[in-house]
Amino acid sequence: MSMRELVTGGAACAVPGSSSSSSNPLGALANALIGSSSKTQERLREIPNAAAPTSDTQFYSQVDDSVAALPGSELDRPFLHSNAQGSDFIRGLRSFDDNGLADAWEEIQRQPHLDHLYDPAAAPIQPTLDGPPQRVLSSFLHSFVDSSRSGIPLHPTPLPLLGLSQGDKQCIRDRSSIMARHFFADKSEDFINAQVNALLSSLEIENDVRARGPVPGRFRELEDYWNESQGILKPGARSADGWVTEFSQYTAQHGDTNAWVRSFEQQHGASSWASEFEQEQAQLTSIDHLNGGDVANLAAIEQTRMLAHTLSQNDDPKFQNSKFLQFLSKMSRGELIIDDNQVKPASGSWATEYQQQYNGGGTWADEFVHNEVFRGPDQWVNEFATERERHEQADDQWVNEFSKLHVDDWVEEFGHQVGEGILGDTSSDNWANAYDEFLNEQVAAKQRSDASSGVYVFSDMNPYVGHPNPLKEGQELFRKGLLSEAVLALEAEVMKNPENAEGWRLLGITHAENDDDQQAIAAMMRAQEADPTNLEVLLALGVSHTNELEQAAALKYLYGWLQHHPKYGTLAPPELGDSLYYADVARLFNEAAQMSPEDADVHIVLGVLYNLSREYDKAIASFKTALKLKPNDYSLWNKLGATQANSVQSADAILAYQQALDLKPNYVRAWANMGISYANQGLYEQSIRYYVRALAMNPKADNAWQYLRISLSCASRNDMLEPCDSRNLELLQKEFPL
Amino acid sequence: MASTELKSDNMFEMMKVHLASDAGKELTKKIGLVYQINIAPKKIGFDEVSYIVDLKKGEVTKGKYEGGKPDATFSFKDDDFIKVATGKMNPQIAFMRGAMKIKGSLSAAQKFTPDIFPKPAKM
Repeated sequence: MSMRELVTGGAACAVPGSSSSSSNPLGALANALIGSSSKTQERLREIPNAAAPTSDTQFYSQVDDSVAALPGSELDRPFLHSNAQGSDFIRGLRSFDDNGLADAWEEIQRQPHLDHLYDPAAAPIQPTLDGPPQRVLSSFLHSFVDSSRSGIPLHPTPLPLLGLSQGDKQCIRDRSSIMARHFFADKSEDFINAQVNALLSSLEIENDVRARGPVPGRFRELEDYWNESQGILKPGARSADGWVTEFSQYTAQHGDTNAWVRSFEQQHGASSWASEFEQEQAQLTSIDHLNGGDVANLAAIEQTRMLAHTLSQNDDPKFQNSKFLQFLSKMSRGELIIDDNQVKPASGSWATEYQQQYNGGGTWADEFVHNEVFRGPDQWVNEFATERERHEQADDQWVNEFSKLHVDDWVEEFGHQVGEGILGDTSSDNWANAYDEFLNEQVAAKQRSDASSGVYVFSDMNPYVGHPNPLKEGQELFRKGLLSEAVLALEAEVMKNPENAEGWRLLGITHAENDDDQQAIAAMMRAQEADPTNLEVLLALGVSHTNELEQAAALKYLYGWLQHHPKYGTLAPPELGDSLYYADVARLFNEAAQMSPEDADVHIVLGVLYNLSREYDKAIASFKTALKLKPNDYSLWNKLGATQANSVQSADAILAYQQALDLKPNYVRAWANMGISYANQGLYEQSIRYYVRALAMNPKADNAWQYLRISLSCASRNDMLEPCDSRNLELLQKEFPL
Repeated sequence: MASTELKSDNMFEMMKVHLASDAGKELTKKIGLVYQINIAPKKIGFDEVSYIVDLKKGEVTKGKYEGGKPDATFSFKDDDFIKVATGKMNPQIAFMRGAMKIKGSLSAAQKFTPDIFPKPAKM
């Protein structure tokens, strides 16, 4: 359903039997705002609508419907709600109420094509960007920001067509998703996504970079025109790079950023860094001078730089050669500026003007030079913000508004650059990759937040669903050591019998052996629900939480083990339950061990407990005692090895792991632990082979992938980072056979 | 032990032992910087516990740095520090998300990577 239909109350959202859109809250809001003019609606329908239907919109309209029907709920005033946070937006709308949306549309249509603006030879073009749609956009973006202060969920709002270009959309999309994460740092990922989706769907921006439709005709036209008008400006000339671009490009060029200051100097001549900065600063500051709107331009440059950067990551050669991209990078370098909404080529007179304007000391650049050490972004940005406030009362054009909005975010933006400079350890580790990863992270976040909150995540395609006896099959597979396969069979079992404690327990054990503690914990929790006193489950939970460094939880389960033990339960005083102290629990277990020194299990729990308190020597002794009683317990050998590894007895640890693997060759956890031991000894090449081996058996072992990545970069095998990131096991196995 | 509430405490304890090993000594040779790491249980800036990871001397100590100014100071939430130290979260992403704050020298900060931390083995 398109936004237009929402606004006009089109078929998809109209309630049967009602021809008016007033039954639809969004439509009603729109009606209230635009005076329910049927003529306007008629004309609205004629508006060509480039946006593809988005399911998000549909989702939100439904939400709003149901919300409206719930009096007393937190969200029971959808209109007031929108009013409250969208007051700016409404004001913006009313201001052109008389003209109607259709007129607004025509105004957009009348706008000269962007390509005019890009022609450096052309005379400055009159302001065209401050039409009502831009005011609407800015108000709406403000309401998005405002919603962050109030913490109120943003609702998708029907907006008139704003005539946003693809570039604008991409820009808004990229920025809003990053911004939102800073605004709502204390909110859940779901909330953030909902906010961003609400924003994007209101603006008819698809929240998927790759789902963009074909480039609209106007855009092509623009390119053609650009091709003709170009030629004077040599694209890619880098002499006058803005320092922001310089900074970011710098890291792309220099894989090893170890001494970035030094190499920056090398690149630009000795002692030139400060003067470079001064010079760049001069340019930037002189933009201030040229326009009362000032810093907005700086932000706009930054803005386009981002956009240019993002676009330049696109492999599509059409994009790479796109004049639009070149325009953007020119913009971002300050070679073109937007002044009073006119695009102007930046002239050499900037520097002069800068001199006139800022002849005295006290400029940023001077200050900067005096600061021998760059004191981090905070200070700079503060100054930036102060500067900005000085020119607060700039006019209301969208460039301004839009950029001002992002000035809030500029701190972070600058931070990204610094982050890159600081932390980029390889050339492939540049910002774009990090951003991609960041986006992927968002996609995966939902699943992960489930897993980390203890919710079991089932596999998608499970061939064992419908199997007559999946538990038996699972036990058989587990015994054979086919752990990933056993997981599937056992999942089928617990889907069939959700109360089967044994199914959940074995599933948990399998996950633990497969080196996936999150899933192991989730499964074990279900097992414990089904059977709260199962000792094996309690021990397994204690071990998994110890592995995850969650001490309080681990202690609780280990104590639970004692409490529910038929023999030692009497030792546990009931009053201890809530406030557990490690010392008390350890004392009780020692008593238990004295009671029955031949019980391997007590020694095992004791060993885990000593791991918690990092008394590794005692832990090792306990496990060794247990191993005398149970020499064929492969998981016990692994526990011994892990303890030795954590107390930096790596050579011993490797022997213990080897024992475990002799008993159970498919023990993924032991293979991964082997890798960890080698890595912690600095033997990265060796560790890679073990990680790869573990991953070949369980490609879902995320920890091992992360460790593998670290070992690859430590072993200077950056060539293999890409196969690692794309999880190309075939190639990795070929490269690192064991 | 009972007063230990942070996961990061474990990591620093492990780091302490690790620095005494050959691989750890290698690390001090390679990096030779002093980092201060502030760990907050819930929110950066609140109830922070400071650790000094001295990769000059090969020591880990709790509390503020006595010997002047650390080369770089990082602030994390407990969980996020573990994520970064174990490679679950790329430091760049941590920075981007605001999960990691940095003060101090850039060149010192850029050597702060997950591989300086030992990886915990799992039982």
